[in-house]
Amino acid sequence: MNKNYIILFGILVVLSGGLLFLPEKNNYVEESPENLMWDIAQPTRYISTDQVAKMIIEKDPLFQLVDVRLDYDFEAFTLPKAYNIPIDSIITADASDILDIDDINTIFFSDDDIKADQAWVIAKRMGYKNVYVMKGGLNCWIRTIIQPEAPPETAPITEFELYDFRKGASSYFTGAEISIDSDIKKSVNIKRRKKENVAEGGC
Amino acid sequence: MGPLIPLGQIASGWDFIIALLIGIAFGFILEASGFSSSRNITGSFYGYNFVVLRVFFTAVIVSMIGLEYFDYMGWIDLNLIYILPTYLSPMIVGAVIMGVGFILGGFCPGTSYTAIAIGKLDAIVFTIGLFIGIFIFSEVFPLIEGFYYSDNLGNITIGEMLGISNRLFTFIMVVIAIVAFYLTWLIEKKVRKTITPYKFE
Amino acid sequence: MHIHELNPKKTIITLTIFVVVIVVGLLTISNPRLKYELTPEEIVELVVWEDGFVFPYELEDVIVGSVDTVVLIDIRNTFDYSRGHIPGAENISAVELLNKDNIKRLKKLQKGGICVLIYGDTQLQANGPWMVFRQLGFSNVKALMGGYQYYALWKDNLGDSYADDGYLLGTADFDYADIAENARIVEDENESNKQTLKVQRRKKTTVVEGGC
Repeated sequence: MNKNYIILFGILVVLSGGLLFLPEKNNYVEESPENLMWDIAQPTRYISTDQVAKMIIEKDPLFQLVDVRLDYDFEAFTLPKAYNIPIDSIITADASDILDIDDINTIFFSDDDIKADQAWVIAKRMGYKNVYVMKGGLNCWIRTIIQPEAPPETAPITEFELYDFRKGASSYFTGAEISIDSDIKKSVNIKRRKKENVAEGGC
Repeated sequence: MGPLIPLGQIASGWDFIIALLIGIAFGFILEASGFSSSRNITGSFYGYNFVVLRVFFTAVIVSMIGLEYFDYMGWIDLNLIYILPTYLSPMIVGAVIMGVGFILGGFCPGTSYTAIAIGKLDAIVFTIGLFIGIFIFSEVFPLIEGFYYSDNLGNITIGEMLGISNRLFTFIMVVIAIVAFYLTWLIEKKVRKTITPYKFE
Repeated sequence: MHIHELNPKKTIITLTIFVVVIVVGLLTISNPRLKYELTPEEIVELVVWEDGFVFPYELEDVIVGSVDTVVLIDIRNTFDYSRGHIPGAENISAVELLNKDNIKRLKKLQKGGICVLIYGDTQLQANGPWMVFRQLGFSNVKALMGGYQYYALWKDNLGDSYADDGYLLGTADFDYADIAENARIVEDENESNKQTLKVQRRKKTTVVEGGC
C-alpha cells in the first residue's frame, strides 16, 4: 500500500480520535448573561392571579402550572393540575420533560413570587422558552381569588367587575355555595401565541 | 450559526436554490469519481474495483468528523438537524432490491443521470426503466403501505441505538472504513492480476 | 478520467484544507465577554441556601458610615431614583451594570473585598440581577431584603426593623390546605384566617461585609 495513504488515514484517525477528547457540550443552549439580564429587566414574565384563575376556569390547553415548593407543601395544597418541580430539581431531566414543550406556557408559582422568580431565572438561563411567574404566588392567590375583598363603594366599575369575577372564581375553586347576584359576563381574551414553524427540513 | 434555514439565517424560499447548487456539485463529483462507468459500479460486486466503496466511505467519514467538530465549535447545531425515521425491515428489503438493480443495470439512480450527461445510451434506457418502476410503485403503493411504514424506529442515530455517543461512533466508523479500505485493496489485488496502484505525490 | 488525475496532489490539498478549517475553528471558538462561573447546579444550591441577602437593619451602619466596605447601587429607573433613594446609593440599572466599565469596576471591588449591595423597589426586582451576578462569579454582590419600599417605611428607625419581619419572603401567609377545606367567603374577616407566622430568624450577622 502506498505510504501516502497511510498518512491520510493517520490524519483521519487522529481527527476522529480528537473528537473523543472534546469536552461534552450541554444538551441545552444557555441564554447569554446579557440577554438574561434584559429579560429580567422586563416585567412581562409576571402573570396575575386573575389571569391564572381565568385560564384554569377556561381550561386553556396552552398553559401549565408548576409548583416550585417542596413536595410536602405541594401535597398539602396546590393549584388544580399543577406539576411539582421543587426548585432544586429544576435542572433534572424530568423537569425538562415538563418544561421543554413548544407552545405550552409554563407558569411557576410558590408561596410568594421570590422562589418562583428564582426558578424562572434558572429555567431561563437553561434556555427554556415560554416560562412565566405567577405574581404574588399562593399568598396572593388566597387574598385575591379565594378570599377576595370587596372594593370600596367609590371604586370604579371595573373593580366591581373584577370582584364579581373573583367571587365566581372563588366558588369555582372551593366548591362553596354562594349566591351570585350579578351575572358574570367576562370576555376573556387569551392571547394565543402563534404556532412557530417547526424546524423540519425533510430531504 | 447553522443549520441556516431552521434558524432563520436564510429565508426558507432559498432551499431549492441551495439544493440546485449542491446537486450540481454532487453530479460533478460523481462523474469525476468515475461513477458514470458501469464497470466501476458493478466492480465492487465482482471484486475487481472498489472505487465506489472508497469514495462513499471517505465522504461519510469526512462529513461525520466535520459535522461533529462544527457542532462543537458552534457552527451548526446537530440537535436541529432533521434525521430521517428508520423503518428497519422495509429498508432492508429496499436495499436488497436496489443492490440487485445496481448489478443488473450497472447504475444507481444518481449515476444514471451523470451517465446520460456524458451520452451513454444504456443510461437513457436505465432511466426510462426507473420511471416505469416509480409508476408501478405508486400504483401498488396502497397494497404495500402497511409494510412500507412498519418497524418504525423513529428518528434515531446509530449512536443512540447502540447507546454510545455519536463521537465515539464516528471514531469506530473511521476504524471500520480504514479496515474496509485495506481489505478491499487486498481483494482487488487478488482478483486483478495486473494492478497498477494509483500513485500520487 | 479520475478527478485526482487532473492534479495528483488534490487529495492532499483537500485534506489539508479540511484539517486547517477544523484547527482554525477550534482556535477561534468565540469567547464570550461574560461567562457563567457557576453551573446551574451551583446556582440552585445558592438559591436554596440563599446567603446573599442583606437585612434592612444592617443598612444603618452603612448609611451612618461606620461601615465603608459597601457600595450601594440602586437599580430602579432614574425617575424613581430622583424621587428618593437610600443615601449614598448610585443609580445604575441592572442592564447597564453589565457594561464593560461596570464589570471592570465590580471586579476591582471584588478584589478589594468590597460588598456591592443592589436594591430595587422590592426584593423581587433585585432578585434576578443578584442571581445573574452570582452566576457570573461576583460573590460580593448582595441584594437588599425588602427593597426600597421597606426601607422607605422604616427609614427613620431602621435599627428597630430588627424586631419586624415584614420583609421576609418565601413563606406562606396562610395554611392553604385549611382554607381550601373550610372554604367560605369571609368578606370582612380576612384577618381571622391569618396564621401566626413562624419564621425562623437567622442570627444577626455583626457587620454587612461578613460574606464578602
